[in-house]
Amino acid sequence: MNPAVHMDGITKRFPGVVANDDVDLAVERGSVHALLGENGAGKTTLMNVLYGLYEPTEGTVFLDGEPQSFDSPRDAIDAGVGMIHQHFMLVDPMTVWENVVLGNEPKTWGGLRVDEDAAREAVVDLSERYGFDVDPDARIEDVSVGVQQRVEILKALYRGADVLILDEPTAVLTPQEVEDLYDVFEELTDQGKTIIFISHKLGEALSAADEITVLRDGVNVGTVATDGVTREELAEMMVGREVLMDPATTPQEPGDRVLEVTDVRAEDDRGVEAVSGVSFEVRAGEVFGIAGVDGNGQSQLVEAITGMREATDGSVTYLGEPMAGASRREHIDRGMAFIPEDRQERGLVMSYDLTENGILGSQHDPPFASGGRLDWRASREHAESVIEQYDVRPPNADAEAESLSGGNQQKFIVGREFERDPDLVVAMHPTRGVDIGSTEFLHDRLLELRAEGKAVLLVSSKLDEVQGLSDRLAVIHEGEFTGVVDPATVTEEEIGLLMAGETLDDDSVEGAAVHDAATDPAGDAETDDDAGGEEVDA
Amino acid sequence: MSRSDAGADGGSDPDRVPSIARRVVAPFVDRSVAERLLISVAAILLSIVVGFVIVLISGRIAQCSTAAWTMPLTGLGFCYDPVEVYVVLFNGALGYPFAVGEPGLFDPNWTPFNLSFGLTLSETTLLIFTGLSVAVAFRAGLFNIGTQGQLVVGALATALTVLAAAPFLPEGPAAGVVLIVVGTLAGAVGGGFWGAIPGALKAYADANEVITTIMLNFIAANIAYVLVLEVFRAEGSSVVATRYVPEHAQYLPWFFPESSDFALLALLVGLGFIGGLYYLVEHTSFGYDLRTSGVQAAAAKYGGVNAKATTVRAMTLSGAVGGVGGSVWVLMSEGRWMASVPALGFDGITVSILAGNNPLGVLPAAFLFGILKGGALEIGFRTDVPTQLVGVLRGLIILFVAMPEFFRMAGRFMGMGSSGPGGPGGSASTAEETGDDSAAVGGGEADA
Repeated sequence: MNPAVHMDGITKRFPGVVANDDVDLAVERGSVHALLGENGAGKTTLMNVLYGLYEPTEGTVFLDGEPQSFDSPRDAIDAGVGMIHQHFMLVDPMTVWENVVLGNEPKTWGGLRVDEDAAREAVVDLSERYGFDVDPDARIEDVSVGVQQRVEILKALYRGADVLILDEPTAVLTPQEVEDLYDVFEELTDQGKTIIFISHKLGEALSAADEITVLRDGVNVGTVATDGVTREELAEMMVGREVLMDPATTPQEPGDRVLEVTDVRAEDDRGVEAVSGVSFEVRAGEVFGIAGVDGNGQSQLVEAITGMREATDGSVTYLGEPMAGASRREHIDRGMAFIPEDRQERGLVMSYDLTENGILGSQHDPPFASGGRLDWRASREHAESVIEQYDVRPPNADAEAESLSGGNQQKFIVGREFERDPDLVVAMHPTRGVDIGSTEFLHDRLLELRAEGKAVLLVSSKLDEVQGLSDRLAVIHEGEFTGVVDPATVTEEEIGLLMAGETLDDDSVEGAAVHDAATDPAGDAETDDDAGGEEVDA
Repeated sequence: MSRSDAGADGGSDPDRVPSIARRVVAPFVDRSVAERLLISVAAILLSIVVGFVIVLISGRIAQCSTAAWTMPLTGLGFCYDPVEVYVVLFNGALGYPFAVGEPGLFDPNWTPFNLSFGLTLSETTLLIFTGLSVAVAFRAGLFNIGTQGQLVVGALATALTVLAAAPFLPEGPAAGVVLIVVGTLAGAVGGGFWGAIPGALKAYADANEVITTIMLNFIAANIAYVLVLEVFRAEGSSVVATRYVPEHAQYLPWFFPESSDFALLALLVGLGFIGGLYYLVEHTSFGYDLRTSGVQAAAAKYGGVNAKATTVRAMTLSGAVGGVGGSVWVLMSEGRWMASVPALGFDGITVSILAGNNPLGVLPAAFLFGILKGGALEIGFRTDVPTQLVGVLRGLIILFVAMPEFFRMAGRFMGMGSSGPGGPGGSASTAEETGDDSAAVGGGEADA
């Protein structure tokens, strides 16, 4: 029998880049297939070829043995290929069933009127057949991200998809929602659907997929069955060398209070309160982690701390001085480094080369500026040193930021901010999109800063990262801390519950909560050596 | 913000059907400097080809006793000779360095210090200032349509200051130098003030600078008109104008004929401004703030740039440069302020677009405009071609040359091109997941 999907010798070239180089991919009907690789490995490009967004430079796509030639996603959908993007494409004020049928509505009155009953019924049928727990009449804006994702899947099924492509499907989910998604996978494959999902997370591929294809630098490194492979082997396939998974944290006594946040409230751009009274402190030589699903107020909290946004209430004290009303420039001048979450919007000026980007934030300060004049030579040397130390590729200070891959952009930003000689580093998703090898390096560097006595505020939605690096870990949900825990002893399930807004039994939180309130800096002695646990994800 | 948001929306969603506008604009967005120069040259040639056809057709429609050009083989006669039109346009603008009637032969008697070339350079000089004014604001992401008004105010300030100061100084070259310096400063202050108003309105009241600067153009023109009409009008003057500033306070024509209204010194001042502004934009902290605000406001804020202060400063600077243009207009061209101020400020917008908003590019762009102006006058002298038709040919050249740059800017404004986050250009020309990552900005990832 022919495989449901067979991509034969796919090569996709862009000007100057070979995104896919003679890639073969075969996926059996009724199986879950993970497409694993680091950023820039060519996973998304390959799937965009399958979905008809790109035409391959060479090679052919077969569905059930039939060669296909897609001009657009419309052709792919007609052939039974559906894709669920990372960013959902749903209309928020409309209901679930309206979103599902949108664009393919059953019509009555000779095509003039949407047959609402038939449409709703079709959606209910589908939902039941695959055991989806979805209320067809709920509005999209009222349901959780996990449900929204299922609506997207329903949309694809409604359009007759037999092959479902999911792009980084777990990126926006809580651990519990991820489990639910795996159940959905199972239900779908039981009924003969074929699933391909893109991921750069080893654990995810291992637990959800039947087979894993690893891409590296646009080349198919190999396809393996999930049962026959270990994390370490997969990591090596992805990176091309052996990888050490655990950052080694050593216990260390924190020093003076560097940052003190008291009852801070902040609003988002629409004027809706996003941070509702958060308090914590970060000491010198300490990493304070904040975990949480994206969009729970982390961004606004960090912006209020770094001077990007005015807090509506509460106070931020930095190095003993209140920062209320201080401009962004004053924050920079007082030695606060900030790795922003959106590197292409804020962290880098995309049309500037790296020399110019290297002084973003320091453009008024020596050695890059004196008397209002910029010293481009010093700037270039600085950029080159960041490029070299942080392994930014291509190693060219004249390269424009936009020509770098996401991971290399991130490395450059992290390097620039780390090398500022700050007292406090506010790092938001510092390794997002960075490959395993470089992540390892950035983590080591972060811990070096900690050892040098810098204070670090680490915000990440990667559990293993915050858990492995932090001395204390807060979990944020809807603008409030649901708990401050000891990352060495807390379990992933417990953090998952906190992320979903639940509170833990008094037992498990007490120690950490008390510690949080304690003024005794020596309370951190319990930090464990192997706080890293087993983490592999990049 | 809205700009970059639009970019992220449009860029990260390849499913959406590209609008016709996007498709038209797309090829011009990501072009290197060399490609843009090549496009400009090609555009001039193309505009000449189109102009040829238009001249021929008009020449067929028009009535004349003798044909200026007869088409070979067919024997059809045309009233205007298109070759002659373009030869006179470019040759005449320079004062005929190539012998008339024998194009291609260099005329040994030619000197650059002739009337026609003077007129060309006079226009070039004035447009250098207005072009720079618009370009500086553009680099900060501000669309200053108000250079015209800033020039009017600056010109009036110059004229009144010099007229007021002149009696206190003895006549002579030393006084002339002082008066020109003082007059230029007065122009800069006047224009800068007029530019600061929309800057402050933009920064502190969120008023769109395109609207406010357009409105301020009318206000400037009318206030200046009334002031001169009622208070400062020269006695016995038939037009609304001030008295002439003293001869010694005007730029001396040096080698060029006086009637060309051109002074080499003024051109040198203009070149100095080009160099100075280039240095300011590219080699100072202020320039870095200004450019960063212009290309990526969110990154500028992250980098500690005070957006409000930068907006006000950029508009003040832009207005000041426009005001200096006004002072040159008074002290070089007219010798007084008069109500019929030419549309130098508006031509400055096109000059700036043509220059890609780069101060160094303003020189060739202004020179092209100068040639078209000087050449148009020559065509009027030398041929029967009506001035309206010459205007059409001028407009064609400008339109053809400016459009690719304009599309490029429009494309950037729509968030396309590689600097627009996650734009289609970006995802295609860079590594695979750059576009992908921008989509993840809002999403995020929670490992389990």
